[in-house]
Amino acid sequence: MELAIETHGLTKRFGARTALDGIDLRVPRGSAFGFLGPNGAGKTTIIRTLLGLTAANAGTMEVLGYPVPRERAQALRRVGAIVEEPRFHPNLTGRENLRLVAAVRGPETRALIEPALTRVGLADRAGNKVKSYSMGMRQRLGVARCLLADPQLLILDEPTNGLDPGGIQEFREMIRAMVEQEGRTVFISSHLLDEVEKTCDAAAIVDRGKVIVQGSIAELAQGGGVRNELILGVDDVELALATLGRASELVRDARRADDGLRVELVGDPRTVAEINATLVRAGVGVTRLEPVRHSLEQRFLEVTSRLDTEPANEASAGVAEGEQVRA
Amino acid sequence: MSAVAPTAPTASVPSPPDQSGSSLTVAAQMFGADFLKLRRKRGIMIWALVLAVAPILIFFLVSAIQHASNPGKYGPAGGVKNFSDGLRVVTLFFGPLAAILIGVEAGTGDASAGVFRDLVVTGRSRLALFASRVPAALAVCWIVIIAAYVLLLAGSLVFASNLPTPGGALILNSLGFALLGTGVLCVIAVGLASLTTSKPAAIIVMIAWQVVASPLLAGISSLGSSRRAILSQAIAHFSPVHVGEGGHGASVTMGEGTALLVVVVWVAVFLALGAWRTRTMDT
Repeated sequence: MELAIETHGLTKRFGARTALDGIDLRVPRGSAFGFLGPNGAGKTTIIRTLLGLTAANAGTMEVLGYPVPRERAQALRRVGAIVEEPRFHPNLTGRENLRLVAAVRGPETRALIEPALTRVGLADRAGNKVKSYSMGMRQRLGVARCLLADPQLLILDEPTNGLDPGGIQEFREMIRAMVEQEGRTVFISSHLLDEVEKTCDAAAIVDRGKVIVQGSIAELAQGGGVRNELILGVDDVELALATLGRASELVRDARRADDGLRVELVGDPRTVAEINATLVRAGVGVTRLEPVRHSLEQRFLEVTSRLDTEPANEASAGVAEGEQVRA
Repeated sequence: MSAVAPTAPTASVPSPPDQSGSSLTVAAQMFGADFLKLRRKRGIMIWALVLAVAPILIFFLVSAIQHASNPGKYGPAGGVKNFSDGLRVVTLFFGPLAAILIGVEAGTGDASAGVFRDLVVTGRSRLALFASRVPAALAVCWIVIIAAYVLLLAGSLVFASNLPTPGGALILNSLGFALLGTGVLCVIAVGLASLTTSKPAAIIVMIAWQVVASPLLAGISSLGSSRRAILSQAIAHFSPVHVGEGGHGASVTMGEGTALLVVVVWVAVFLALGAWRTRTMDT
């Protein structure tokens, strides 16, 4: 598998505080990858480190196959990035701001300015000074600035900050189009779980400078393995539990829950019909039978709140090493 | 948990634009970009023009009115003598203030707007980003100084009456002196501002040194030959007209070679400090 970003043991310290603590990250090419974490988890620090805005204390990094910082210029040639909020010279127009970056990237980049402005829907306002732009327009201009690199990799730090719901929807569609139609890789750092779940193919959850877990969105939500679960409504809970307890070829675990019985399946969801038939044959009336949809939010809260309840060192050793995916 | 596979096949990415360009073309474009940033800083441009041009305007206006009202007591506003006085105003007093404003803006503009990191992530070297600020600042500074100089020259010729007017050699030498004096300060301001990354701090330090500390130190005779290291004294040695008490019109006597060395060292030190800070700072 080709990787857009790969880090090993990446460590960054600010004085006594460790902002990145041995980060191992693997971002596949051609995917939208979410980098999820609470505020202060180290999301922006890893982006700044990858881009050479600050130096790492230890570890190795590769961006688009180039070792960074040794071949930083080559690596960043096809990278577009927005770090924290997009900033511009407010007294210049949107188009002039792009010209500044195009001048730094190289002479041929200038031809990409108008297509980039059109792509983000700012062609009509490109002649206005940036100080008159809304936050959403600045975000879009930031993306246009990224597109000047014709990027194989886009690194976006909290990209939907300040966008209204319509803007978020548009942004999501643009990211998906970049990934699916143009084959670009998009690395999105965010604390918005819903946003990452809807936009990204895969994600890593980071907390206190460590990658706690990484994998596809579905895998993350299911908590480290494929967990098919059902919520059952029955007229006789005791009989149902006894019946399910005997059906060990179908059911791994069954327990009472607030919303009925929570049943973890051995196989895939196609066995639901067999479970229903088994219960009915045993004389249990089934009033509800609903597959559980695992959300990334649940998983996020699980792994991050677990850290809060354990001593820091124990948590970092146990959770990080136990669950981190090595792709 | 298995490895993550891309959900979509990796489509062929359009071939990358050739971002290398010839280094001369890139340098020219980066100069143009930095020049644009400065030119569009309306507040800075207006203040720089006011500082450089307004004193000359006032100088000629007052002199002309005095001469018109009492020709017996006040001579004509133009001529070589008034040209020399005006040159001192442009090169050693108000021109430097304009140069400092422009240099400091060039040194801190990207950082204070928060866009320096966006330039760094293009992969372009930080030294190149720093280097392009210097010629752009000089170009803007010299446009302003030339405007003031043209006004000075015009006033000296128009109001000369029966007085001798500046000759060709003096005009060219004076222009060179004005460009040197203000250019050196502008470049040092770029370096200092890049070092401090603080516009107010850089402006205060530069003006305090140039306007307050330098004349005071130059006047302390017990400091002896160490006063040769004062930048304004070294610059004054290149003046084609009398601007002070010492040799070549400066307060402190020194040879041309020493004066040139002092100027070069000042410029080199501040450029090196600015470049070092730009290269190493976290953004």
